[in-house]
Amino acid sequence: MREHIEGSPRHSDSHDLRIGVYVCHCGKNIGGTVRCQEVAEYARDLPGVILAKDSLYTCSEPGQEQIKADIREHKLNRVVVASCTPRLHEPTFRAACEAGGLNPYLLEMANIREHCSWVHLHDKDAATEKAKDLVEMAVGRAARLKPQFELTVPVTRKAMVIGGGVAGIQAALDMADAGYKVYLVERTGSIGGRMAQIDKTFPTMDCSICILAPKMSEVGRHPNIELLTLSEVKAVQGHIGNFQVEVLKKARYVKKECTACGDCIQACPQLIPDEFNAGLSIRRAIHIPFAQAVPSVYLVDMNHCLNNQGIVACDRCFQACSHKCIDFADRDEILRVDVGTIVVATGVDVYDPTALTELGYGKFPNVITTLEFERLINAGGPSGGELIRPSDRKRPRRVAFLQCIGSRSKRSNPYCSNVCCMNTVKDALLIKEHWPETEIYVFYIDIRAFGKGFEDLFQRARREGVTFIRGIPGEIIEDIDTGDLTLLGENTLLGNHYRYHMDMVVLSVGIKPHKDAPVLQRLLNLSTDTDGFYMEAHPKLRPVDTTSGGVFLAGAAEGPKDIKDSVTQASAASSRANILMSKGEVKIPAITSRIDPEKCTACGLCAKVCPYHAIEGGKEMGYYRVIEAACQGCGACVPECRFEAIDQTHFTEGQIVSQIDSALARDADQKILAFACNWCSYAGADFAGVSRMQYPPNVRIIRTMCSARVSPRWIERAFLKGAGAVLVSGCHPADCHYNNANQNTARRVEKFWRRLEKLGINRDRLRLAWVSAAEGAQFARVVHEMAEGLKSLTPAQIQESIEKLTKSLSKKADAS
Amino acid sequence: MTIKIWKHFPREDLYECYQCARCTGSCPAMEVAPAFGPRETILKCLNLGHDQVVEDEKLWLCCTCNVCEDRCPQKIPICDLLVALRNSAARRGNIPYRLSVAIELLAKTGRSMIVHQLDEMRSHHGLDPLPPAPVDEIREILKKTGLNEVVEF
Repeated sequence: MREHIEGSPRHSDSHDLRIGVYVCHCGKNIGGTVRCQEVAEYARDLPGVILAKDSLYTCSEPGQEQIKADIREHKLNRVVVASCTPRLHEPTFRAACEAGGLNPYLLEMANIREHCSWVHLHDKDAATEKAKDLVEMAVGRAARLKPQFELTVPVTRKAMVIGGGVAGIQAALDMADAGYKVYLVERTGSIGGRMAQIDKTFPTMDCSICILAPKMSEVGRHPNIELLTLSEVKAVQGHIGNFQVEVLKKARYVKKECTACGDCIQACPQLIPDEFNAGLSIRRAIHIPFAQAVPSVYLVDMNHCLNNQGIVACDRCFQACSHKCIDFADRDEILRVDVGTIVVATGVDVYDPTALTELGYGKFPNVITTLEFERLINAGGPSGGELIRPSDRKRPRRVAFLQCIGSRSKRSNPYCSNVCCMNTVKDALLIKEHWPETEIYVFYIDIRAFGKGFEDLFQRARREGVTFIRGIPGEIIEDIDTGDLTLLGENTLLGNHYRYHMDMVVLSVGIKPHKDAPVLQRLLNLSTDTDGFYMEAHPKLRPVDTTSGGVFLAGAAEGPKDIKDSVTQASAASSRANILMSKGEVKIPAITSRIDPEKCTACGLCAKVCPYHAIEGGKEMGYYRVIEAACQGCGACVPECRFEAIDQTHFTEGQIVSQIDSALARDADQKILAFACNWCSYAGADFAGVSRMQYPPNVRIIRTMCSARVSPRWIERAFLKGAGAVLVSGCHPADCHYNNANQNTARRVEKFWRRLEKLGINRDRLRLAWVSAAEGAQFARVVHEMAEGLKSLTPAQIQESIEKLTKSLSKKADAS
Repeated sequence: MTIKIWKHFPREDLYECYQCARCTGSCPAMEVAPAFGPRETILKCLNLGHDQVVEDEKLWLCCTCNVCEDRCPQKIPICDLLVALRNSAARRGNIPYRLSVAIELLAKTGRSMIVHQLDEMRSHHGLDPLPPAPVDEIREILKKTGLNEVVEF
């Protein structure tokens, strides 16, 4: 029995559909550009729609309550929300649907904020028309949605932390204290990271190693932490809750019974610059990274040991060791561990200023970097805490600090490194503390003292007599006889030129992503921002999550950070991981592929393109099938099937084709139909919206999980419908979130180009663009260029290409 | 007269400048003429506008050695800016007197400078007297560059 609703003219046409449409004003964000009421009125007349409303904030409590109430009262069986990007509020509205008694997969969103109102701020008419199109596309897709039920998979209650700096240490301790087994993987011989190298911390002037060492030893003795030093992650398989990680544990050549007595050091004949002391001192091939190292066990640096050819040419350390802990037969080993969550805390490298030749670093001995300075002034450093300059080992009377070296520059790193200003202020105060008569000059552009207690510290440095001069020297000249340095530059506040004579210059160098960050990025399918730091799932609301489920970020690997922020983020990351592990299970989105065994001819093409080996079967079985727990839902297999036997749940052929048809229902020749992958290109288009980058309003974006889901049949359909141009966009080739599934995208588009050329259709009408989540500007540029291209396209040309395509299709049909 | 400078120089590039003064610090002209510097020129372009900048005689101190551009952390084409500004200044008649005299001389004699003992010096070194300069050809070239619109010759 169906109840009769008044005022729904098309109700009788589509029997079972009861769609509710909600057009959100988002305050002025959408309402300021799009006439939301008009859009809602338009939606009311669409097939299957029984009610359409516009509201100020649909995501607010009253907005959600309205949806729930309407589902119950009007027996809605589909909900369409036209508001912001589904990447932001899809979970919110799905929850509202569920609370109202509707399967959450019966919700569809139209993105009329990031993809419409924000990018067409000055064209209200076009934005409103576009919003109508987007709503119509969403309603069309909603009508074809089906209820889905999510699969629950267990979460392994173990975690891995990659990187043993202060962030990694904190994350490991937090998870271990919560009762979970933690594997802490550190590449070097000891945990401690950059913080162990620093003398004091700002703004409190705590001794860095004094506050870090207790945490390090806690890691060393924690029953739940398995510390893997000299280890690297080599391979990662699996998915959220169930990762199989392969760790290469390199040989230490010293057994853990080592008491760190140090007898072996004197015996070793090999001398190498000590990297812990930034190369300012020497160490032996057998060594311990630093006094407080954890584990407190020596190691042999086999690259410099005389026995590196595989034969024992020198056994002096072996002879010197009274406990006989040295074992030259030690070999690298591969460990395989199963973990449920991974915290990435790989930290940063320091910028090398050698390229800035005018500053003379590497050429003039008295020009040093901040990290070298930290070791120089550290009591455990090469000079025993005595401030001396490298050229003559005398105490410098006049010291200059140069700010922003390697930061905020197109010649090096474009971003602000966040820690250098306060680090310099701290270093200046340290010198003043020990040798108050030292003259200190800080050459800066801006002093960014933004944190708690930072401004106080800055003011204190000025009171103590540190001179701050605005204007970076253009050149440093060395006096060859004395090693003194002359700084030439301009004091921009006084407007005059200066020429300062200094005994020593400290370059306040910036920090940059770890040089091996791209390796881990590929292993874990992470994305990076334009600066090379790992990108968070959402910059405000999911700052420690990544787009790979179960992988979290901590510390400076995500962006330049001081110690406090690194520790904060580490605790946040571990608590996010703890949520997964304490629950013990996780739901997998119902977007997997399914194969119809009736249609399947067991050709096996789908299994070949699956990036996760999630399709099994064979000729013997007579068909192939998808392993649902392993399928990640990229949809790369669907276009590969020649017999239309595969379809992707929630992104079905029918649903997308209906979107294509609605998008091109009017003025198709003026339109650009864009397919964008969820993780990069759709997010990139969102970013263009967030950044208010304006682009032409004739683009209609259809979201797929991966660009590999884009079927040549869709492109063909779009051109048959008379689309002016088609854009296929996805992640950059190595950044695909589905193990390079997007190489299929490139292959299919190239094949389609050849087909267009063969038919004599302008191939420029189909474009392939790689747009990452950070490249909003790139997305806007591509749309601009395509819109330019459309201008020279005549209706006759479009008609001609439709005819050519139709002809080629009918030929194909005849042949088969 | 319309301001053509921003046609020859992308104005947006100037917004990248954060006044670090590395350019002025590396400028050889600052050695001889304090209070001159590319940093100041860029700031004036941004804050005071083009009209006031081209009034400034100091523009002509730049010897286009390109060091400022080389050291600019933001890769601003500073030399291009200064050349464009000087072109614009010249078209408005803001051209140093000495320079306009040199141009006039070049157009009339084919040389930018008359050295009276030149032939004497040349013969001292065993060289022939300097041949006459191809004045007409030089004038043609100067006209092609548009210099005759700036300085009458």
